[in-house]
Amino acid sequence: MTSNDTPDSGLNRKEFISWFWLGWITFSVVAGAFATLIGRFLFPNVLFEKPTRFRAGDPESYSLGVDERYKDSQSVWIVKSSEGMYALSTVCTHLGCTPNWLNNEGKFKCPCHGSGFRTTGLNFEGPAPRPLERFSIAVDTTGNIVIDKSKKIRSQDQWNDPDFMLKV
Amino acid sequence: MNPLRQLWNYIRKTQIWKSIFRHNYPDNPRDQSLAVLTNVFLHLHPVKTRKSGVRMSFTWCMGGLTFFLFLIESVTGILLMFYYRPTLEFAYNDIIALREHVPLGILREIHRWGAHAMVITVWLHMFRVFMTGSYKPPREFNWAIGVILLVLTMLLSFTGYLLPWDQLAIWAIAVGSNMAAATPLGGVEGPGTMLLKIGDVSLVHSGNDAKFGLLAGRFIGEATLLRFYVLHCIAIPFVVTLLIALHFWRVRKDGGISGPL
Amino acid sequence: MDWLNESIKEVINFLSNPVIYFTVVVIAWWWLMKFHRVWVQPKPMKIALIASLVFLVWALFDPNFNKEATKPDNIPIWLMSYGVAFFFWLSISRGAKNDELMAAGEPNLEKAESDKKVYTWPDLVYSELICIVAFTAFMVLWGIVFDAPLEDPANSGVTPAVAKAPWYFLGLQELLVYYDPWIAGVVLPGFIVVGLIAIPYMDTNPKGNGYYTVKDRFDEIWLFGFGFVVLWIALIFLGTFMRGPGWNFFGPFEYWDTHKVVPMNNVNVSEIFWIKILGVGLPSNILLREIVGLVLVSFYMGALPKLLLKIAKFKAIYEKMGFVRYYIFIVMFLVMASLPIKMYLRWGFDLKYIISIPEFMFNI
Repeated sequence: MTSNDTPDSGLNRKEFISWFWLGWITFSVVAGAFATLIGRFLFPNVLFEKPTRFRAGDPESYSLGVDERYKDSQSVWIVKSSEGMYALSTVCTHLGCTPNWLNNEGKFKCPCHGSGFRTTGLNFEGPAPRPLERFSIAVDTTGNIVIDKSKKIRSQDQWNDPDFMLKV
Repeated sequence: MNPLRQLWNYIRKTQIWKSIFRHNYPDNPRDQSLAVLTNVFLHLHPVKTRKSGVRMSFTWCMGGLTFFLFLIESVTGILLMFYYRPTLEFAYNDIIALREHVPLGILREIHRWGAHAMVITVWLHMFRVFMTGSYKPPREFNWAIGVILLVLTMLLSFTGYLLPWDQLAIWAIAVGSNMAAATPLGGVEGPGTMLLKIGDVSLVHSGNDAKFGLLAGRFIGEATLLRFYVLHCIAIPFVVTLLIALHFWRVRKDGGISGPL
Repeated sequence: MDWLNESIKEVINFLSNPVIYFTVVVIAWWWLMKFHRVWVQPKPMKIALIASLVFLVWALFDPNFNKEATKPDNIPIWLMSYGVAFFFWLSISRGAKNDELMAAGEPNLEKAESDKKVYTWPDLVYSELICIVAFTAFMVLWGIVFDAPLEDPANSGVTPAVAKAPWYFLGLQELLVYYDPWIAGVVLPGFIVVGLIAIPYMDTNPKGNGYYTVKDRFDEIWLFGFGFVVLWIALIFLGTFMRGPGWNFFGPFEYWDTHKVVPMNNVNVSEIFWIKILGVGLPSNILLREIVGLVLVSFYMGALPKLLLKIAKFKAIYEKMGFVRYYIFIVMFLVMASLPIKMYLRWGFDLKYIISIPEFMFNI
């Protein structure tokens, strides 16, 4: 069993080198995996955040135009237009500030970097790259509007999707 | 002999005094050397220094002031922690209480202004090191440590920005964290991120992207406040302390305050 | 006198618009470096200091200027501006002095003393102690005189009229006007940090180690100072004092009107090429649509490093640095140069994006 050149260890140089690297590679992989797990520790599995669905009352209680009643509590504008009702996110698509609704000028204007949006949410000035996001909107069996903020659309192409445009 | 002098001589002969100080008053070369060598803080310095390196017009004292400001920030920060509670309910009121309800109500002021001053002095220190070419061999690696310390100084200040939980705080963090969301391949708004998916399942989404890691949630909330508090008070200062030790050690090992070769 | 006052303010307001301001700063930097021997004497520095203080006092009588200049959060900016100006003067003037000494064959100020060694106690520890005591007094005084800023309690529903990052990030926030967040907020800061760390490994000039000089490392100081003073400090100044509600531009004596409307109709390279020049609609194929921008950017980052070697200065740099160092340097250099380029393209041609692929949120 023992080779002549390394009688005491039982390993020759070639074998030693491969065991040496195997050892270090194993060590690095395990250390790396452990570091990854520590990084993963910072991403909790359970969040205690507000529910993403909320009831927004009777569709008849809204008049044409932009309604701000859920702006502070839910970060949603509910807009009633001739085509129907839709729910706009109040988060500017540039860097997440809350735009102000300027009734006289008929637009949302973001104070951070000057992005402007039409009542449809379309971005028409400033650095915002996309329109305001829209949330899913529906009427439940009690006749109340239900808005689900976990379902949202980004692109203009989906604006007429029935889940996101409530016909009234 | 004057009795005060007698007392002084007596004190210096006591066992207690001699157990603490190993040398006489440093007014001669031997004791001047011993004063530096036998003191754990002073022995950051060599016993003798280049005359050109001692001049304020050369160093501007900016590195030293930055370190001193780090000490000021640590001390005032520890004191502020006695009153400040990082929760949505209390944070803002505790900040007001630190001015109105406690004696010496300027500690928060000193802490806040000190943070600004530290950002300025660390930039000027970098500027000085550049202008004297002190990053050149053999000090390249110490310059790299210095750059990281500069970044950490700004991160310390940035994480501290959120703690008063006022309008200034959350909107600065809102803008900052949305930049994290724009990280290429790592943030949900970043370029290329939407390509990272298996079938229909996105690998990076608002529940695990860079912004989420920063905010400990999808929105700025209590978890964010706690996370920034820990980063500000413990995590970053811990790293900074280690790097400062390394930075000073390297200054000594690379030949002390730089001078012409 | 009032009309004179007002018209001077009007002129300054006009001159502070970002295009003129930035151009003036760039030209000033160029001249400051070129003619540094003139202003390194104490006299021009004193005149400049007194003139700026007189101007400041005069300006503080203006309510609009006063409001922003004396905001507690903006006080560090004044300290920083005067600090950077003073220490810039100090380092350049010592450098110029050393250059003279060395040209005359004498040792420079540092060299003359570098072989002399002094005892750390008392020479060094006492100056440290004096610094510490003086600085502590300064901090306490600052803390007593100025309250630390504290605004209304946080309210995620109301964005304040001006939402600014901490002042030391305002240079980056200014870049957000010209670049998307992933570049201004992630890529460029990354390049700044990596670029700073890379400096000692790219700079192969053996001269100028451990003493002030201008002549021995003119190009290095020029480039670093351009990044530090022009692209960092000057943009912070602009972002603090001349960016108001909606990140609109306001002159230093202008009232910060929340309702100021500045039309912003920026166009992409693809729109200029396909619609304005060729007169056809945008192609639906993304790569075809953005072909001009893609070619421009790959030319800038891919071909320019090699083409620049035709210029003698870059050729000399290449020969000094070698292949690897040169390519790292030139990539850093081009990324840094892309900032003013994009700024002028925006100002001159209302250009929004060179490459615009919102489908993948990839805009340059």
